[in-house]
Amino acid sequence: MEATPPQDAVRPPAGLGELYWGFLSIGARSFGGVLPWAHRVMVEERRWIAPADFAEVLALCQFLPGPNVGNVSIVLGRRWFGPAGAAAAFLGLMALPLVWVFALALLYADHAASNGVRAVVTGVGVAGGGLFIGTAWKLARPLAQKPWALALAAGCLGVIAFGRVSLFLVLPVAALVGVAAARKDLL
Amino acid sequence: MWQIAFYFALLSLVSVGGIPSVMPEMQRLVVEVQGWMSAAEFTQIFAIAQAAPGPNVLVTALVGWKVAGIPGGLAALAAFCVPAAALSYAVGGFWDRMRDAPWRKAIQRALVPITVGFVASGGYVLATPMGVDWRAASIASASAVAIAATRANPLWFLSAGGLAGYFLF
Repeated sequence: MEATPPQDAVRPPAGLGELYWGFLSIGARSFGGVLPWAHRVMVEERRWIAPADFAEVLALCQFLPGPNVGNVSIVLGRRWFGPAGAAAAFLGLMALPLVWVFALALLYADHAASNGVRAVVTGVGVAGGGLFIGTAWKLARPLAQKPWALALAAGCLGVIAFGRVSLFLVLPVAALVGVAAARKDLL
Repeated sequence: MWQIAFYFALLSLVSVGGIPSVMPEMQRLVVEVQGWMSAAEFTQIFAIAQAAPGPNVLVTALVGWKVAGIPGGLAALAAFCVPAAALSYAVGGFWDRMRDAPWRKAIQRALVPITVGFVASGGYVLATPMGVDWRAASIASASAVAIAATRANPLWFLSAGGLAGYFLF
């Protein structure tokens, strides 16, 4: 048996091809969410990046606008191979899921007249909405002891979900309030 | 098609927290402002995107597809991804150097409750395609509790929602 490399040996992808294939395999397997697969492929299987480094890149990408894992592909692709790397990683990530989703949509369009099919798909969509609510609940747990933070979250929910006020109005106002509160250590 | 691309490019820049944060605004634009589809159709399109593998940003491609065919889908996806990607590309190194700056910490702390409010709003909007309705409310509450309380793959909860939908709707 050959000597196994130490647990923490990190080796970035050797070339654009490897980068593209890695992200292609993330996209291809990512049923039910991309993030766990991004972690498995890059940190555990291919060891392109150390776990703590991955967590930092992810934190940045969750803060930036845009699709989180899409941003991860851009930031890491750029780090390793510049603009070509960013493009290769992003396209690899999107290629197969895009084909899949259009195929499903066309299939659905053919059967949308059936009440049964529509009922199932509506049920999936409503359950997906529930997943968002549950995720928001999980994100809110660390805020339990912070009444100002809970009030800000509830205010955003009220004006957007019930008031149907545009996000383009709510985000700047909420961000100003939030940053002011954070500076006074209220958040 | 250009209209939807323009809207999605704007949405791209306010999508802090990713797709879940902008779902309420996307639904408002597409359903209430433009009338391109009904609330029920919007929830169904979202369901298809959830059931496929891949990043949830693909829902933008399906909304574009519904409005203007496959070219519309590709345009909507590109419009949503490119502005944010350009920003990530530009900010990637800078943000790490600012790790200990007080303003960065203030922004990060401020965004947590805002994201919570936005994501919960997205969930509410998607879970009420027919207005407030006990069947949808039961399915959505069940999946909300399931994802908050367990670590199972969310595909199970979506499948259960589909099954419940078959019998209830």
